[in-house]
Amino acid sequence: MSEQEKIFNQIVKDYSERLWWHVRRFVNSHEDADDLLQEIFLKVWAALPSFRGESQLFTWVWRIATNETLNHLRKEKVRAALRFSSLDTEMEHRIQTDPYFKGTDVERELAKAVLKLPEKQRQVFIMRWWDDLSYEEISAITGTSVGALKASYHIAQEKIRAAVSESPF
Amino acid sequence: MTKKSDISTPEGYFEDLQQRLNAIPAAAPAREPSKVRRFAPYLAYAASLALLVAVGNFILRKSTTPAVAEDPYWDYIAYLSDALDPDGYWEDYPEQEASLSNEDIVNFLLAENVSLEQLVSYEEGY
Repeated sequence: MSEQEKIFNQIVKDYSERLWWHVRRFVNSHEDADDLLQEIFLKVWAALPSFRGESQLFTWVWRIATNETLNHLRKEKVRAALRFSSLDTEMEHRIQTDPYFKGTDVERELAKAVLKLPEKQRQVFIMRWWDDLSYEEISAITGTSVGALKASYHIAQEKIRAAVSESPF
Repeated sequence: MTKKSDISTPEGYFEDLQQRLNAIPAAAPAREPSKVRRFAPYLAYAASLALLVAVGNFILRKSTTPAVAEDPYWDYIAYLSDALDPDGYWEDYPEQEASLSNEDIVNFLLAENVSLEQLVSYEEGY
């Protein structure tokens, strides 16, 4: 086994499960998260020789995953528009009919409220609330300042409080 | 509200996922970084050096030589302005003008058989 393969297998071991949850929260579909994770790790494998250690491996992998996920959602949005539909409506339907969703009605409301957030606020909320990343980690991944992230997260919380009948915070 | 209890996964899903992900290297061999990418830092240094030399050369030439000196157009304009300048033209013959006195002119006219009466009448304005 080459050195590169060893590093790759270590990345898979350390991050695949956490990344799956990260992606799953964005796409709201088990199958899409599974497909997307394959794509993400293909990218990680292809880009591994050019990884220079300027950022932490964790940050680098997480950045690839987040960018791929957001690109995937943008493509989905275009596809939905071509079907004369909207991605938000389709996502709400996914949450409503998701066979893997085992939560309460409030948790379902929360998932739907997150859908309605603007992209940056949604990104920060998912990474902070569900992925349990620190502001410093999110800042390193997204390239946004900690102050701006805190402000975005605060606004996102306020919007969710207003949209959900029982506050999760 | 616990954060991850709302979504479930099939039994043994993450073990299966890891196995599939670990199979990626066998299915997609790693690409070596391209030669351009490998030599990119050196190319950047060389390009910076070339730019520095070019800028330095330009500044040096600009500060030591008038911009119009080597331009044939301006040489031609200078030639024309010299040729059309009446003062400039006469300044080319100062010695000849100074050597012709009134006496020389009178002597020349007398030698040409012009009479003194005629010379006086010219002088008086006839």
